[in-house]
Amino acid sequence: MAKKHKPPVTSKSSSNGSKRNQSANPLRTYEIRDYRLEKPSFTVRQVRHGDEVRYEVKGDLSAPVPPIRESKYLSKAQCIEIYRWMLLNRKMETALENLYKQGKVVGGVYFGLGQEGCSCASAYALKPDEWLGPLIRNQGSLLVRGFPARDIMMQYMAKAGSPTKGRDASSHFGDHQQRNVVSPISTLGDLIPVLAGVALGARLQGKNIAVMTYIGDGGQSTGVTYEGLNFAAVQNLGLVLFVENNLWGYSTPADMQFRVKDLAERAIAYGIPGVIVDGTDPCQVYDAAHEACERARRGEGPTLIEAKMMRMKGHAIHDAAEYVPKPLFEYWKKRDCIARFENYLVNAKKWLTKDENAKLISEIDRQLEADRDFAVSSPMPEPASAAGGTYCEPGCHQVKAKYGTPKVSVTKSSATTPKQREAAVHLK
Amino acid sequence: MQLTYLEAIRKGIWEEMERDPTVFCIGEDIGIYGGAFKVTDGFIDRFGPERVIDTPIAESAIVGAAFGAALTGMRPVAEFQFMDFIGCAFNQIVNMVAKAHYRWGAPAPMVIRGPSGGNVHGGPFHSQNPEMWFVHAPGLKVVCPASAYDAKGLIKASIRDNNPVIFFEHKYLYRRIKEEVPDEDYVVPLGKARIAREGRDLSIITYAAMVHLALEAADVLAKDGIEVEVVDLRTVSPLDREAIASTVRKTNKVILLHEDVRTGGLAGEVAAIINEEAFDDLDGPIVRITSQDSPVPFSPPQEEYFMPQLKDVVREARSLKAY
Repeated sequence: MAKKHKPPVTSKSSSNGSKRNQSANPLRTYEIRDYRLEKPSFTVRQVRHGDEVRYEVKGDLSAPVPPIRESKYLSKAQCIEIYRWMLLNRKMETALENLYKQGKVVGGVYFGLGQEGCSCASAYALKPDEWLGPLIRNQGSLLVRGFPARDIMMQYMAKAGSPTKGRDASSHFGDHQQRNVVSPISTLGDLIPVLAGVALGARLQGKNIAVMTYIGDGGQSTGVTYEGLNFAAVQNLGLVLFVENNLWGYSTPADMQFRVKDLAERAIAYGIPGVIVDGTDPCQVYDAAHEACERARRGEGPTLIEAKMMRMKGHAIHDAAEYVPKPLFEYWKKRDCIARFENYLVNAKKWLTKDENAKLISEIDRQLEADRDFAVSSPMPEPASAAGGTYCEPGCHQVKAKYGTPKVSVTKSSATTPKQREAAVHLK
Repeated sequence: MQLTYLEAIRKGIWEEMERDPTVFCIGEDIGIYGGAFKVTDGFIDRFGPERVIDTPIAESAIVGAAFGAALTGMRPVAEFQFMDFIGCAFNQIVNMVAKAHYRWGAPAPMVIRGPSGGNVHGGPFHSQNPEMWFVHAPGLKVVCPASAYDAKGLIKASIRDNNPVIFFEHKYLYRRIKEEVPDEDYVVPLGKARIAREGRDLSIITYAAMVHLALEAADVLAKDGIEVEVVDLRTVSPLDREAIASTVRKTNKVILLHEDVRTGGLAGEVAAIINEEAFDDLDGPIVRITSQDSPVPFSPPQEEYFMPQLKDVVREARSLKAY
């Protein structure tokens, strides 16, 4: 899909897919690669009905569900593995919902319902020595990075055995030693410069790696999103930024967060490639992620991938999402990523028989039951375990270069007295 | 070697970059330009643009990128052009970085350094002392050197520390003080105060540029036979509780002096520590001398009115001695 933009015309930039116009036409054109097999077009607006202001959706919501796009890279076994992660992601969240209803969860539960394909297929494109920074709905990404479901369950139940030992909730944990996951914080966009810095650290140690993080249609409105992605672009760091456009930032529709038609267009302004995928199609998600990761490993810089889908629950478990127009739920329910992928594997490709599928599902159920029982019966932390650990004390961590000691070359210039030309000299 | 405060900081960072290939500098205008105050002048020629990284004007990106690099085992030294601008990166510092070790066990061996402080007619956005914003954030260490010797030893200790350190360089001192600084490798440990001048009649507990004001006042008061002990805290988080208590036990009278504004300033915290550790040793009220509770005014007569002056310290000391 080509997008037309207004002048100026003088730039020779091509790294972001801009095509230098050979003719005298003063319009420049840019390319945003779009992997989708359908391009839904609708808007959500605030409309007054008598005493009430409601959200209303306008547009064609009658289109048939498109097929899964054939992956250029994924094998049969890999597709089944991603499908398995997606199932585990969803079923774990269902288990959490039940635990919440039983009063076993401390605080709320956040769901990635409808977004499991995006979380799992994107994280699947990373290598073990590469890094990921998840958001609250990317619990599937954490599973793919090797955290067992019981870890996430224990986080929600504030157990002593949780990855943060009870100190933080939900997906708010990480592992800088083995799994290379940066813990998210509650404010949005802050992971973007951090993951860029991880890529910078690796590059200083002689290795170009891919680093991946996410931002939503709501979170991308923050200033640190701009700062982080722009820094990655300027420094040519291997950041793969998934912009998960799930149409709702808490209760605010995407149409009230930004004016561009597609968030992938933002890439043009950073001078980096922008790609659009159907976030409910794991093959599209994986292919775009894989290509962006390969680009990162070649040292060619960041990529912005917009994944379009919908958050199929409220912001968190307390939020019934009654503000969402019902036709939108109906439209996206037909595009459920797991139902579509299951149909693709079982019926379209016949890579899974019905029996094999049933067996796979029951294995996940059995595993989750064990994880749930373990998490439920594990102890709460001792009160005094709130103390300590605020600082890294001697002996608690050894800091060493993860990818090898940086090779440094120094010139012969010496540490002489700084020149007396002072910029801020008027401040004296 | 005789070095200014600025040269001492510069030499400290330089030596650490020579010593440890994981140390690198990142910040605005620090490369070819050498930084607004020239602390990193010549660094890019010596260590190359890979280790002396000029960034966009994006303070959150600077801190975020430094933290990310630290997660891979690097030791970034991030320069803020003025510490007044650190508010732009506040969330990264207090929510992302400071909480990392407590929440998920990630050490963040990084230094955020830059010029702070007034008396240079910089106005409300180039003169602030924002150290207390970070003293109030558990997980950070906050360092405010007063001498060239300490500046070199403390910047080196900060770079080697496995925790995030906010390093406030007082810009009034950059080129004003010059002293003998050893050429060899040494560190000044974080969290340890020093006695800048011994005395028996009363103590002035202070830090950064105000150490010099306190020493000046001590000279004046000595002529009246009042022997003032000056305690330079050097690190304001974590505080050296023992040094605070022991000077009070010795002199029994104490003035808390800082250039930061009064309400919520460090003096309140130090007063509470004295109350907890040495209440019975007090022979007079704890006196606070601070800047007034307002932004830092631009015009020189106004800035002078705003900040503690020699006459204020001398007057308060005489009055406390007579109590």
